[in-house]
Amino acid sequence: MKKILTAIFAMASTTCALAQETPTSPLEISGSVDTYFKYDFAKDPRNAKTSFVTDHNSVSLGMIDIALKKKTGKASFVGELSFGPRGQTQSIPDAAAAGSSFNIQNLYVNYDFTDEFSMTAGYMGTFIGYEVISPVGNFNYSTSYLFTNGPFQNAGIKATYKFSDKVSLMAGLFNDWNVYSASRGVSAIGGQLMVAPVEGWTAYLNVLSGAGFGGYGTIEDLTTSYQITDKFKLGLNAANYDIKDSNVFGSYIGAALYPQYAVADAVTLGLRGEYFQYKKYGTTPKTSFTAVTFTANIKAGGLTFIPEVRLDHNSDKPFYKESGAIAPNAGQFSLAAVYAF
Amino acid sequence: MRSILVVLFSICSLCLFAQQKNFSKDDQGKFIYYKVVDSVNLNKQVLTSRASKFVNDFYKKQLKQSSATDSSVLATGKVVIDKTLLVAGHPSGEVSYQFIFEARDDKYRFWLTDFSFVPYKRDRYGNFVASTTISTPLEKPVGKLNAGEWTAIQESAYSKAVKFAEDFRKYLATELPAQPKPKKTETISTKKW
Repeated sequence: MKKILTAIFAMASTTCALAQETPTSPLEISGSVDTYFKYDFAKDPRNAKTSFVTDHNSVSLGMIDIALKKKTGKASFVGELSFGPRGQTQSIPDAAAAGSSFNIQNLYVNYDFTDEFSMTAGYMGTFIGYEVISPVGNFNYSTSYLFTNGPFQNAGIKATYKFSDKVSLMAGLFNDWNVYSASRGVSAIGGQLMVAPVEGWTAYLNVLSGAGFGGYGTIEDLTTSYQITDKFKLGLNAANYDIKDSNVFGSYIGAALYPQYAVADAVTLGLRGEYFQYKKYGTTPKTSFTAVTFTANIKAGGLTFIPEVRLDHNSDKPFYKESGAIAPNAGQFSLAAVYAF
Repeated sequence: MRSILVVLFSICSLCLFAQQKNFSKDDQGKFIYYKVVDSVNLNKQVLTSRASKFVNDFYKKQLKQSSATDSSVLATGKVVIDKTLLVAGHPSGEVSYQFIFEARDDKYRFWLTDFSFVPYKRDRYGNFVASTTISTPLEKPVGKLNAGEWTAIQESAYSKAVKFAEDFRKYLATELPAQPKPKKTETISTKKW
């Protein structure tokens, strides 16, 4: 632990020293604002089993997200905060009790030792998975089961080496998932291999092992996307998470496919098809979800309208009908407006 | 006095309106920034040598030489377009282009063409990265929904091209400085008084 702290302080000191000698870039400011209306076909908000878009028959808030970035020579920082339900109560962790504060999305420093090698320390968006908290980073407005059940963010220190534009490798030490300070020490190790075999195709092979949701476990993840033609893009996310203690809930396996087709300059249609299974734990049997989400992105300058229809199925009947009776199916319609600046 | 001010104001307004904000098109309908420059007393070898130096030294972060002859230099370039929000902003995309230079004795010409734009998006770590590998020709018309933003990108690319041209003309008009000799560091010895 002492060694890690020494490395972080050494990196920070070097950054300060070099900052006096090298030119600075302008401060970058960017962010987004989002709001949505959702209607659950069974009029029951409990049918939302994934993150965000949880209200029913309501014009609701997502979040305002503000990011700052500055680079001084080889050193840079990113600080990103979000305010609003998507960035507060629905993100983990909420900085204050009762969901009245904000969520840090990114807060880290980075140093590029060379063009190929860099180190980063702080709190960062997770390297696991296809979807992210920010609505600007996702095509669909609702989120997948894989996103909801995986890590959102990881605090830690990582090193990245870029062998070429087609291959890079990251390795790092991390806290347990989604915490600003470790409750079980710097107890997870993670890595990411990025390969870009052909132009337009990028694949990330990710592993994170150590303290996480439900105790200690290991998650293996494949996230890839391929811009096959000017108009057609295909994305894939597949992951497996095993908690060491087989009596604890939270182990899962799943895959999601993301085909998207641009029908016009400003309009892209997309689909997310997902299979997701919570694995058996203790005496509780496994349970499986399938979900199909039809989404359109209509862009007008910085604004994107996202109409969406989502259908979920689970034969174990975790959903509710309008009468309150349990049901195997759920459906919802939502219309979101996301402005990126 | 008042009439003089009115005339001056009118002239200034005309100058402002006359200022070109966007690219001209070539005979293939592509955007082009084209200049012919008289350069008296400079032969084509000197001009070509300076142009090559400009590409490989002065603008090496933005340009990559693709070929050269005794009177021409070809390079590909890339420039980042920024989206400005009052006092700060962030990169919104990059424009790639072709740079072509040809020299004769006492004059040269250069042009920038094949402009294409790749938009950036913010990744999960808060960095702006290319959102696609598919670039869009800068002269391509877009629908009404995104016309304003697209025009801003075209104008920003044009102003970058103007800056590039100014830098290039100044560089070619200036005698290249000789390589400075390394300074001999003086050392002080305490062995003798």
